[in-house]
Amino acid sequence: MKETYETKIEQLKHIIEKIEDGNTGLDESMKLYEQGAVLVKQCEVMLTEAELKISTLSRDA
Amino acid sequence: MDWFNRSDVAVVIEKAPLRVSELSAIIEGLLDNPLLQDILVRGELTNYTHHARGHRYFSLSDKGGGNTAAVIKCVMWRSDADRLSFSPSEGMEVIVSGTVRAYAPHGSYQLQVKELRKAGLGEKFLLVEQWKKQLAAEGCFSIDRKRILPLFPSRIGVVTSETGAVIHDIRTVVGRRYPLEIIISPTTVQGEGAHIEIACAITRLAGRVDVVIVARGGGSFEDLFPFNHPEVVRAIVACPVPVVSAIGHEVDVTLSDLAADLRAATPSAAAELVVPDRVVLTARLRELKSRLNTALTDRVIRAQEEICDLQDRLRPQKFFRKLEERKQNLADLSDRLERSFLNRLVRDRLILAEIKTALDSRSPVAVLARGFCVAEKNGAIVRSACTIEKGDTMKIRFYDGSSQVIVERVNHERNI
Repeated sequence: MKETYETKIEQLKHIIEKIEDGNTGLDESMKLYEQGAVLVKQCEVMLTEAELKISTLSRDA
Repeated sequence: MDWFNRSDVAVVIEKAPLRVSELSAIIEGLLDNPLLQDILVRGELTNYTHHARGHRYFSLSDKGGGNTAAVIKCVMWRSDADRLSFSPSEGMEVIVSGTVRAYAPHGSYQLQVKELRKAGLGEKFLLVEQWKKQLAAEGCFSIDRKRILPLFPSRIGVVTSETGAVIHDIRTVVGRRYPLEIIISPTTVQGEGAHIEIACAITRLAGRVDVVIVARGGGSFEDLFPFNHPEVVRAIVACPVPVVSAIGHEVDVTLSDLAADLRAATPSAAAELVVPDRVVLTARLRELKSRLNTALTDRVIRAQEEICDLQDRLRPQKFFRKLEERKQNLADLSDRLERSFLNRLVRDRLILAEIKTALDSRSPVAVLARGFCVAEKNGAIVRSACTIEKGDTMKIRFYDGSSQVIVERVNHERNI
């Protein structure tokens, strides 16, 4: 998670804003949408596949 | 001496006697003095009784005072006694804080104790105060130094005891909210030398995690003491990533808590501060997803509207009107062309007829028709009798034919 999760969410927001902006062409909007859909999928995977990992450092390290 | 006639005695008797309760009230008033309130008293604890109702009664005296020992009776009400972190025992050197009050029913005064600490601890309190000043001067507690926790840590470090409720609580909360990697940096959390271990445990996590929780369950002032130690405080300050502290209960504030970037009331609360809630994230992601879909749908709708608009502009009534106008114009022009051509033709015909008449009137044929004829010799018109002589062959042309003649004689009417 995650810096990468965070950046993905940021990218996603940026893409949405670009599509919402009236100046973006339809072609570009479609491309952006595809990118956005990929990001959503990746974020979903990140959220669902997170798992607890526990490790303990050695005291002498 | 005449005792009975002494004037001063007479005065005393003349004064109305005080009731005992009035006297008590005066004494109470006198004791209501700032010198006797919220004071610290150090002494040896004796005659300690733990009353069935929870109140504690004891005396304080100067240790080794011998015959000159001063004693004061003390009471500690249950509400204050409940906060005691140790069991006081006979002969213990203690420091108490409290207020002196008169107790009318016993005709005595006593110290109402709010707090009771071992005298050794009192020194530790002073030490903590001293450290606090020193570390504050170093800027360890400065608000400006506080860092913001990462929104999405990938690994969190926990400095605490390997066993016990603290790590269990943190694991549970992290597992529930957003399972991720927890790196435990184990340490002793109390006792002699614990501060060195705690500081090392914090330092050891550097570079391995995005955020650190320093946690310990509740305990006495003495139990939490290592977390006041400058070594631990400085390790927290030096930690390259934000530190969240959860040491003891909410009421116990250690210097580590003051130095941490964020202080949590409990280890569970610390875990909640450190990891986001997956449920919330999922909901937010779903929101973004629907916004993404709406954005594209809206974009497509807008594009369709654009197309409709363009279509409208491409075949509007105006366009058809223009086309009609042009057709009409063309038809008009073609009419005009035809008419003007016909007119021209008529006029030309007239002109032609006139010319023809004129031509006809000048035509040699017309002259011939009137009875004249034309003589030609060798294809040339004979205009003079001088050009012919006897025996010439000539062609005589009439209006309706010609004949070939031979000249018999030439008469010249004028002499040449």
